[in-house]
Amino acid sequence: MEEIKIGVYVCWCGTNIAKMVDVDQVVDQIKFLPDVAVARNYKYMCSDPGQDMIIRDIKQHHLNRVVVAACSPRIHELTFRKALAKAGLNPMMFQMANIREQVAWVHTDREKATKKAVSLVHAAINRVKWHESLDKRTIEVNPATLVIGGGVAGMSAALEIANAGKQVYLVEKSKKLGGYAAQLDLTFPHFYSARQLIKPMIRHVEDHKNIRIFKPMQINQIFGYMGNFQSTLQLANGDETKLKFGNIIVATGLQPFDPSEITSYNYGKLPDVVTSLEFEKMLAKGRIETCEGKEPKNVAIIHCVGSRNANYHEYCSRTCCMTALKFANQIRSALPESNIFDLYADMRSFGKGCEELYTQTSRKNVIFLRFDQQNGLPEIRSTNGEEAVSMLIEFTEQFSKEQVEVPADLVILMVAMESHADAKDISHIAGISMCGNSFFIEKHPKLDPVATTSDGVFIVGTCQAPKDIPDSISQAKAAAARVLATIHVGTIEVDVITATVNEDICCGCQTCVSVCPYKAISFNKEKGVSEVNEILCKGCGTCGSTCPTGAIRSRHFTDQQILSQIQGLLSPDNKFEKM
Amino acid sequence: MDFEPTIVSFLCNWCSYTGADLAGTSRMKYSPNIRIIRVMCSGRIDPTFVLEAFKNGADGVLLCGCHPGDCHYQSGNYKCLRRYNMLKKYFVQLGIRPERIRLDWISASEGKQFANLADSFTETIRHLGPCKIKNVIETYT
Ligand SMILES: Cc1cc2nc3c(=O)[nH]c(=O)nc-3n(C[C@H](O)[C@H](O)[C@H](O)COP(=O)(O)OP(=O)(O)OC[C@H]3O[C@@H](n4cnc5c(N)ncnc54)[C@H](O)[C@@H]3O)c2cc1C
Ligand code: SF4
Ligand code: SF4
Ligand code: SF4
Ligand code: FES
Repeated sequence: MEEIKIGVYVCWCGTNIAKMVDVDQVVDQIKFLPDVAVARNYKYMCSDPGQDMIIRDIKQHHLNRVVVAACSPRIHELTFRKALAKAGLNPMMFQMANIREQVAWVHTDREKATKKAVSLVHAAINRVKWHESLDKRTIEVNPATLVIGGGVAGMSAALEIANAGKQVYLVEKSKKLGGYAAQLDLTFPHFYSARQLIKPMIRHVEDHKNIRIFKPMQINQIFGYMGNFQSTLQLANGDETKLKFGNIIVATGLQPFDPSEITSYNYGKLPDVVTSLEFEKMLAKGRIETCEGKEPKNVAIIHCVGSRNANYHEYCSRTCCMTALKFANQIRSALPESNIFDLYADMRSFGKGCEELYTQTSRKNVIFLRFDQQNGLPEIRSTNGEEAVSMLIEFTEQFSKEQVEVPADLVILMVAMESHADAKDISHIAGISMCGNSFFIEKHPKLDPVATTSDGVFIVGTCQAPKDIPDSISQAKAAAARVLATIHVGTIEVDVITATVNEDICCGCQTCVSVCPYKAISFNKEKGVSEVNEILCKGCGTCGSTCPTGAIRSRHFTDQQILSQIQGLLSPDNKFEKM
Repeated sequence: MDFEPTIVSFLCNWCSYTGADLAGTSRMKYSPNIRIIRVMCSGRIDPTFVLEAFKNGADGVLLCGCHPGDCHYQSGNYKCLRRYNMLKKYFVQLGIRPERIRLDWISASEGKQFANLADSFTETIRHLGPCKIKNVIETYT
């Protein structure tokens, strides 16, 4: 066997790591470990000069293993693997030690942090010794795409891909395309008619020869992996259709918050307290009126209903402030003599043309009043016909600190945007994660906001986070570009981190067959041993830890690799020496 | 000197490791006694890994996976749960306090929960004192 030569690189990450971890000390502690040929630290390992350093060392010192101690492997493992490949080394001969997210950023004692960093690097060195070259498997990408959800986001993505000449399967749960945008009257900040924007889009999608629409339809299961997914749809007439596709775009959208949870607003009890969505429908019908069909003299709009409040949702729903201003303008045009009260917590008018809309609205005799979410929400109560107005809203105005009462004949609650109730099911079906607020999690919040940790699955529109129509469309078109790129290349390379059975050791007990969630293992009766289908295996490693004889090897997570990692982690040599 | 426990933690890649990373990106502070090993799924955590950790001087072992129903590979965490229950019984026979091993579910968004878990488990182990199994093995083998 060739001699093992490991290059170890400890990153400062500017001051991110170097501030809490003594990088010189780490290098000093590990450079004498067996098989370590080169050990260095450097300001930014992921930068071009950092990567070039590794490439140069591999060539000069004939390194055949590399360890980088830096950020999380979830961020830069691929970057460094590519550097190894550039230097002619198999990219799997690499291991990362996470000393930023799991050391420097979470600890406060420099000595203890450094000692922990030493042990993590030692563990990585031990592990990488047992790494073996693995070849990538090239798989063909099925050129069709599945889009789940036919709102603006889903439709935009579908159109973009279909216009490029590729097949799209669009699955929509309801009877109609368009989602919530199709239920709006006008849109902020330019007051375009939503219908005029959405209708032609729906027609385009429906008429497109490359888009096959399934509605009302739900997807229950998806099998396969990036490039080769498949699913079976149950058609209304009892038939089944089998679909095959290479990529998935999830666009399941939003649902409005149910304000009956907030007792002080009396929604559901007072008939003239309506949600923003109900008000959109009223506007679309063309007449603003109370439940008795009268023109309201006093209209109040309340912001942040269910948003920015620890009891409901902590996040800002991003679109409701602007929608509220849109409403104020529409009310002013329809009812020039009315009093309009806008009760807000903070006015969030970011975005192109939005601050301008705020300025413009404030000149239209709209009374803006600020309440403090932290000190209790406004209370809406009925006057029981004892006054000229039907309701009063009581709260402490934040600037004057005075208790005020605002009269109202109609109250509009700017309800929060939540992720769709189906998000949980979809997360299981498509293999993607949800954040604490039930929105889908992107692969990287800054660098990769449309992809997910499941290759070939993308998230667009409000299922990812609250956003307006232009942001939903931008994200949809970005995802479409990503999908088209993989279709254009036609093949993708995937790591073969699968399981294999050593036929000489396997006793044929078939325990592995029963634990594999993907039915990737079958029993070969002739040989009396189990066999793994590498196409179906997703590399979870469960069979490896189940096999009683140790016949199963979980590639890149072998027993030997992990056991040596543990030994390195706990080695008594991991010290911190005061210098 | 105060006893500083050494704890080895096995985290699945999809939920728990991501959750631990989130604790980092959010700059939450927790005790430095926890050292993390990444596996693709909690279902990969072989009982021998846990024993190897104690054999090499760990005072506690923390296992984390996705919440029930959320495993990236459908059911690996249920297999982990069964092995965990089995290991605890086995520990009693070996003379290791079963509290030295703990299994918990951490989702990708639960950075705070991970930081709290790291701290509370460290305190539990600090309270139990050093695990002597390593010495025992060294004496008798
Ligand atoms: C009251 C209100 C006013 C607004 N005003 C404006 C405005 O003026 N300007 C602006 O830019 N934005 C506005 N917005 C925001 C805008 O509505 C959203 O940005 C937009 O609707 C997001 O589109 P989407 O495709 O992400 O989601 P959605 O519109 O929610 O569409 C999602 C689609 O997916 C479908 N679906 C859900 N689950 C499944 C499943 N399991 N299987 C298949 N299909 C599924 C749904 O039926 C739906 O058709 C407003 C929002 C509200 C609530
Ligand atoms: S956009 Fe405005 S109303 Fe909506 S949650 Fe944010 S601050 Fe509140
Ligand atoms: S569990 Fe191991 S020994 Fe049993 S059939 Fe599978 S590979 Fe063979
Ligand atoms: S690694 Fe997981 S998916 Fe692959 S064969 Fe084993 S149990 Fe099945
Ligand atoms: S992937 Fe997290 S427990 Fe299986």
